[in-house]
Amino acid sequence: MRHDTVTRSVKTGLVAFACLSYLILVGIPGRIGGAALPSLALIAALVFWFNFRRNEDFRTVPERDRGSTGAEGKPGWQIGTNHAPAANDTVPLLPAGISGLNLHLGLAAGATTGLLIAICSSVIVAAIGNGVSIQPVFDKMVPLNVAALVGVSPGQIAQADVSPFRYLLQTVYFAGAGILAALAVTTGGARLTDAARSDRLPVNLSAPKILAAGRLAGLALPIVLLAFIVLLGLPGVSAFGSNEGTVRLLLTLVATGSGLFAHRLSRPGRERRIVTVLLGLGVLMMPFVLDQFQNSVMGLVFIYVMMGLGLNIVVGYAGLLDLGYVAFFAIGAYTYAFLSAPFSSPYISNLLLLLNISPDSPLLGYWMALPVAMLTAAIGGILLGIPVLRLRGDYLAIVTLGFGEIIRLFMLNMGELTNGPRGILEISQPSLFGFAPEAFFGLLSSQGWTFLLALISSALIAIVAIRLNSSRLGRAWFAMQEDEDVAEATGVHLVRTKLLAFAIGATFAGMAGQLYAARQINIFPENFSLFVSIDALALIIVGGIGSPAGIVLGALALKGLPEVLRGVDEYRIVAFAALLVIMMIVRPAGILPSPRRRVQLTAPEEQGPPELSDGAEEDFREPLEKKAAPLNGPEKDEAQ
Amino acid sequence: MANSPLNVQAAKIDGQTAQKYLIRALGAAIFLLVAWRVITVGLAEGYPASFWISQALNGLVLGGVYALVALGYTLVYGILFMINFAHGEVMMIGGIAGFFTLQFALARGWMEGPWLVVVAALLFIMLVGMAASVVIGVALERLAYRPLRQAPRLVPLISAIGASLFLQYSVLLIFGVSPHSYRKPELISGGLRLGDVFISYTGAIIFVTSVLLMLALFFIIQRTKLGRAMRAVAEDRSTASLMGVDVNAVIVVTFVLGSALAGAAGVMLGFHNTVVKFNSGFVPGLKAFTAAVLGGIGNIPGAMFGALVLGLIESMGPSALGIPTEYKDVIAFSLLVLILIFRPSGLFGEVLSEKKA
Amino acid sequence: MTALLSIQGVTKVFGGLTAVDNVDLEIAELSISSLIGPNGAGKTTLFNCLTGLHRPENGEIVFDGRSLVGLRPDEITERGVARTYQNIRLFGRMTALENVLVGQHLRLKSSHWSAILRTAGQRAEEHAARESGRELLEFVGLEGQENVVSTNLPYGDQRLLEVARALGSRPRLLLLDEPAAGMNPRETDRMMELVHRLRDERDVTVFLIEHDMKVVMSISESVSVLDYGKKIAEGTPMEVRSDARVIEAYLGPEVAVQGSAEAVGK
Repeated sequence: MRHDTVTRSVKTGLVAFACLSYLILVGIPGRIGGAALPSLALIAALVFWFNFRRNEDFRTVPERDRGSTGAEGKPGWQIGTNHAPAANDTVPLLPAGISGLNLHLGLAAGATTGLLIAICSSVIVAAIGNGVSIQPVFDKMVPLNVAALVGVSPGQIAQADVSPFRYLLQTVYFAGAGILAALAVTTGGARLTDAARSDRLPVNLSAPKILAAGRLAGLALPIVLLAFIVLLGLPGVSAFGSNEGTVRLLLTLVATGSGLFAHRLSRPGRERRIVTVLLGLGVLMMPFVLDQFQNSVMGLVFIYVMMGLGLNIVVGYAGLLDLGYVAFFAIGAYTYAFLSAPFSSPYISNLLLLLNISPDSPLLGYWMALPVAMLTAAIGGILLGIPVLRLRGDYLAIVTLGFGEIIRLFMLNMGELTNGPRGILEISQPSLFGFAPEAFFGLLSSQGWTFLLALISSALIAIVAIRLNSSRLGRAWFAMQEDEDVAEATGVHLVRTKLLAFAIGATFAGMAGQLYAARQINIFPENFSLFVSIDALALIIVGGIGSPAGIVLGALALKGLPEVLRGVDEYRIVAFAALLVIMMIVRPAGILPSPRRRVQLTAPEEQGPPELSDGAEEDFREPLEKKAAPLNGPEKDEAQ
Repeated sequence: MANSPLNVQAAKIDGQTAQKYLIRALGAAIFLLVAWRVITVGLAEGYPASFWISQALNGLVLGGVYALVALGYTLVYGILFMINFAHGEVMMIGGIAGFFTLQFALARGWMEGPWLVVVAALLFIMLVGMAASVVIGVALERLAYRPLRQAPRLVPLISAIGASLFLQYSVLLIFGVSPHSYRKPELISGGLRLGDVFISYTGAIIFVTSVLLMLALFFIIQRTKLGRAMRAVAEDRSTASLMGVDVNAVIVVTFVLGSALAGAAGVMLGFHNTVVKFNSGFVPGLKAFTAAVLGGIGNIPGAMFGALVLGLIESMGPSALGIPTEYKDVIAFSLLVLILIFRPSGLFGEVLSEKKA
Repeated sequence: MTALLSIQGVTKVFGGLTAVDNVDLEIAELSISSLIGPNGAGKTTLFNCLTGLHRPENGEIVFDGRSLVGLRPDEITERGVARTYQNIRLFGRMTALENVLVGQHLRLKSSHWSAILRTAGQRAEEHAARESGRELLEFVGLEGQENVVSTNLPYGDQRLLEVARALGSRPRLLLLDEPAAGMNPRETDRMMELVHRLRDERDVTVFLIEHDMKVVMSISESVSVLDYGKKIAEGTPMEVRSDARVIEAYLGPEVAVQGSAEAVGK
């Protein structure tokens, strides 16, 4: 027991040290003024997390707790109607049993972290002080970061002007911070746990009245927020001074996101209809009241929603992991660009001259080009789909990734057709009955118009996606995702079903691409890198795969929030990447999971080699069947 | 009744076989097309033989490096059945660590010393690179993959993508966007001229080192107790654990071996390309994966062979096809796509499956 | 009686091993037939050949006058052959009703366009499909379970659900791969009764693989025995039971002399 405590605390300390060093190296302390804050927060979080995870008690909540969450039985509270509660559905509560022992653990962990940091920085400073030339190494790092690591100014490092007193200070500082943090967390945690055990929580959370009040608040919040933003959009009204734009964008994101939760919170029937109408009205007002910048951000967010919804059909519904989705986005964008920009490749110009059309004027307007872009993308989807029909799982992912890259490289290198890296410029804007939208309502800016279009398209795509998913085709997709062989033997035409998924997904990506091209005005091959695919995939996953509401939420979080947090933009990808990993471990089904997906992504799966294709079928299928044979099915009929 | 009026379909028309032959015919057509292009365009250019030989040597050097990375993919896939998407980044970390060690060595003046010192320093640089990669590789396994071992296949793949991005952009934040250039010591910057063919020392060293490392890996896997345990786990994880093999330890060792090779590859690629930066592991990683697939993923000799083939195709392909060298990545990716479509089990896939059966 | 299914000289080879070796079989319309044999005899492989999962190297499979060889599994299902699996392979995350609805996939005709527009025809068809799905669940004895996610069903019910899913495609021939495996005696009785009702009420011809000799002997009208991929006996349960070669296949040559046929398969 004692030994275990020591190892655990040292381990926590080590992890804290590693994380802290990382943060320091990346330069976060330099931004927020010193290492104290992150170290405190980090050690606290880690100690808490380690206790939380190690403690077996919190995993099973006594039956009474589940029974007493009053409104649970009401239909409005259930997420998804066809989801039966899993057998061992447990609600994590507070960690029980954070005791004196854990307090020691926290202290030891804090001390370890502090010591390690101090030793590390001391060594570096000492090395510099003794004239060891590690300068060339550190020249390449951002000097500020190193300075933060050592706890001195960059100038001092350069002159090796650091006194031994500094090391001592360093040790005391970090160790002290760690111990303090650990103390706060462990005692606080113990208090809370004790309170929870003896039912002495400040408020009785299970009281139906409080639940009802919370629900109403949840319903009202987005509507109030939306109303507020609309109000702010009126001329002459201002509430946030110089930060107006950012704050309003943030409010818009929050309002839209919480609206999705409100929608789920509402009871089906009249209440839901009212909420939906109010939310819909509020969101539709947004393009008119937001300014150019906010509209441009929201437009991008909803273009990604369109893409996410399309990709969701391929990945979420049909279970085909497509990492080359950007290809269709690019096809849509370039198709529209060809049709509407003054630049035309020699090929297209010649074609136009042949048809007696002046190559200078746009060939087709936005609306006429829309079906062309969609169709081209759909054809692209089918062309990509045919060769990969036989591939499954990771192989599919890698091949599609390769396809995406191939398309981008072609756009980059085929100068005669795509103008290469110089891109296609001056793509014309979507009109409204032949006029620029500004001519109609002075209220709607060009970016607002894009946002409005993206919003409406997203809604349409969502409806189509949801309807398809609940139809015969949706069931076939899902069956295929579950077990391809059985689905086929049950009568699902695999080729047709897969190609439909690819084609429909690609169509929506084409729509999104066209709108994107119009939004950007100028497009370049660099706009269509692999990261677009990864972003689209990530927003589905973060939001909740298979769930349209989750996708909107994911897009708001991944494409919208970074715009609000402009200052820390460099950390965006790192934070997002870390989030992706953590998300997979902690909540693989996403923030707003679809009920089906939740069952799927949380249930363990039999491991085994994937089934590749017809070619390798004989080799792989047999072992799989063998493995999957139940205990009582002794027959092994296959070749052995 | 339930009998559908689909009688038109003659019973003898055989859908599956037809599809199979169609795919084969398509493959043959593509092959012929490529061959035709090579004969009419590539060969018609009339490059001298020495040009082709230098290109081939270049390809072998690249192939050697790819092979080291491809082995990492294959080892992990063989045991965990997952694509370690972040493996390219593991390699890049090795390159970065090697770069800083090189800076250190340069500053200490080791690189101008007698040749024994230089060789020792180079070895040291490679070892540091390998060590850094091993640390990252093992951390990756522990943090991003192990918690997901029982999860459905999609989940670890996404986690791997996240890890890959995380590593790339952490390196960007810590070391900056600009590429770091490797400075070769005098000793290895020259080359040997045989007639019209120029063999650079760096290239030769890289190739020899890769081969030695591969032989070492082969020895470990075929001849040691550890290797036997690895093969057992690859074959059947649960049975192996029943036989007393510590599966977790074996998986960690797999990551250690794969990452060490990747680290060495990272350092050597640094010397070869003369630069490393935050995203310099991505494309080589993808290509190494292609190589692994080419040889049949999970198959160790296959990965080595596939990598050499890929290296050769990449260096000779553009000239042979008479297209600009910018398209060499397109060639590599197209090859990946074609291989997966026409021969998903790789060039050595059959060997592998027979061994397994 | 005419043969609904006739198999002639079907051979399936895996690598060097002949899993099914030149097997001839006939299944009469509206009969209940069984296929038995020791482990590894090639029974499931034969089923896989029938349903298009494997393609036999040799031989002919004629169903209702037309060949099934070389057809895709879904085409074979379209013709009216459905099956269940030895190791239950339900769509685990779907509810019971959804599983049956997938079974009906082939018999639903509305296009995806009508689904997008939610036309009256499509809605009516969906409604009818749900109704008939519920009715099928009721038929196999799973009434009231339609919204249960199928992995959460008890083992025996999962087997029943597989039957219901197979019935969704309105088959004329139903292949049951060890329908009673792992069931307790009560569940087994229920399954046997269901097999009878399939034939009597639904006009489905049943062809089943089974290890439980009690089941085989009591419900089948004809029994075929496979051993090492070859058919070694055929006939009524009584005939097969006393066949020396069958006893030998199950118990080995020495025991066969004094072995009693009742021990077969135990």
